Amino acid sequence: MSGLDFEIQLLAVVVSVACALPGVFLVLRRMALLSDAISHSILLGIVLAFFWVQDLNSPILILAAAATGLLMVAMVEALHATRRVKEDAAIALVFPALFSLAVLLISRYAGNVHLDVDAVLLGEIAFAPFRRLEVGGHDLGPRSLWMMGGILALNLLFLMAFYKELKVSTFDAGLAAAMGFSPVLIQYAFMGLVSVTAVGAFDAVGSILVVALMIAPPASARLLTDRLPLMIGLSALLAAVSAVSGFWIARGLDASIAGSMATAAGLVFLLSMLLAPDRGVVASLLRRRRQKVSFARLMLTIHLLNHEHSPAAAEENRLGHLSAHLRWSPDFARQVADRAERDGFLDRGEGDRLHLTPLGREAARHFMTR
Amino acid sequence: MGAPEPAASLPDGGPAIEVNDLTVAYREQPVLWDIDLEVRPGALTAIVGPNGAGKTTLIQSILGLVRPAAGRVRILDRTIQEARSEVAYVPQRGTVDWDFPTSVLDVVLMGTYREVGWFRRPGRPERIRAVRALEKVGMEAYQDRQIRQLSGGQQQRVFLARALVQEARIYLMDEPFQGVDARTETAIVEVLRELRDRGDTVVAVHHALQTVPEYFDDVVILNVRRIASGPVSEVFTEDNLRVAYGGRVPFLQAVSDAPVADLPES
Repeated sequence: MSGLDFEIQLLAVVVSVACALPGVFLVLRRMALLSDAISHSILLGIVLAFFWVQDLNSPILILAAAATGLLMVAMVEALHATRRVKEDAAIALVFPALFSLAVLLISRYAGNVHLDVDAVLLGEIAFAPFRRLEVGGHDLGPRSLWMMGGILALNLLFLMAFYKELKVSTFDAGLAAAMGFSPVLIQYAFMGLVSVTAVGAFDAVGSILVVALMIAPPASARLLTDRLPLMIGLSALLAAVSAVSGFWIARGLDASIAGSMATAAGLVFLLSMLLAPDRGVVASLLRRRRQKVSFARLMLTIHLLNHEHSPAAAEENRLGHLSAHLRWSPDFARQVADRAERDGFLDRGEGDRLHLTPLGREAARHFMTR
Repeated sequence: MGAPEPAASLPDGGPAIEVNDLTVAYREQPVLWDIDLEVRPGALTAIVGPNGAGKTTLIQSILGLVRPAAGRVRILDRTIQEARSEVAYVPQRGTVDWDFPTSVLDVVLMGTYREVGWFRRPGRPERIRAVRALEKVGMEAYQDRQIRQLSGGQQQRVFLARALVQEARIYLMDEPFQGVDARTETAIVEVLRELRDRGDTVVAVHHALQTVPEYFDDVVILNVRRIASGPVSEVFTEDNLRVAYGGRVPFLQAVSDAPVADLPES
């Protein structure tokens, strides 16, 4: 692996983890789509600031972008407050307005600079290592690695400093307000953080895929754990895994790195959804299956009890009869009888007769008298 | 909780909560209209009224969560900002996301966040207090449970514990009995009485009119305006309720013979 590959992967990991951290609270606050809106509207800030300072590497661009992110959030809230549109519609109205204005400005006035529409939409992580940060003639590595590293550190600091405020205002905004923690202030500080993160990630992966990096790892982690600190840690881990595997997928397919990273994050979510220990699809199928068999076992013992001393017992209480009486397939009937026998609820007699054990009788009676 | 607060620490004869000329409007529609109110310290006070009467808004105005169009609120003769540490709030259970990834103990610990303050985390002393608060409501065995596994009654008890851990002198509760089982209701009433007996003040939005005389000392009857307020024995009358509920009082029809405890929960 070349130094170039290593730097791209390192950057991919840093971008992904930096996005996943605020993503945790976006998911918990049910504001996932707002991250998409922010990542689009910050472009306007970048463009306007670029016209002003004429330098794509100026930190002013980050500040202006973050400010447009906040402006977008405020505009959405103002539009929603008029009660003429619902919140989701307000989001869908505001961010395309800002984004399209930015696209217009770029195509009209900035055609010759690096700010082209492709780069805006998909980023250019593969080229990031070519823009170096040099101080006094020393090469300190890719410029965007430093910027994203700084943003990651900022996210970590914010999360550590305001962990409990974020938690309480997310879980119970009313209580947070009653205790004097202003949920509005926390909301805007947090949105500012999301905006800054989106600006940084934007450079690497473009405005469309930022939302995948912010939402997919936390949404996966949410399925894997019910503990918030663990959810944060898992989100970071899954983000890093998606970044590295995305890089190698892109290498294998000779395709876009940003696209592959988002795809990998999507695959991680798919796997989590299938295999999560408690909330996963497989787990719930197994659980339903178990419940089905144990309910059938109960039905079987009740059936046996009902016919135990009747003249028809010899006919009714046979394995072969169950499929007719309980409408079970012969396979399922055998499976249930096996299970009941294993659990000590019945014994097999001559032929395929089934006899309740005292334990089985007890279980059936217990259920019927409940 | 610590030793009982001596009653002498209350301002002499002053009300626990004083509301003057309070008017709250949403989009020029009055939700609360010119409310005057004094809440007696060391009493259990119910706020009753039909849907849309402004009960929740009244609680939130007292807490300073809603900006009034007019009027003022004093708590222990101070503003709410000055009196935050004296006030604990129990919002309606349904206003939060019970699927949030956190444990019972963690939710109770949230009650300590104000005194812990910005940038710091609750530590061992706070944990001990949180466990004690859970003991008070009979939920200590559940402290490590994820909150999504709780029943409605258990959720409400956790909320109550979170208020208790604040060690406040005024407790404002929005429908603490909503959707709880009979056993939980009894347990909550017991805790509220204990608070009152040490001199604390409890104000609760309450829906089941038939239990007002049994559970509460005072009552505020509300329907945008304050219809009546004072001791239950004096103001909880058919006439006042008719004014508030507009002639059709659910309680007056239900109360005829059923013993209070057997009535279905609202």
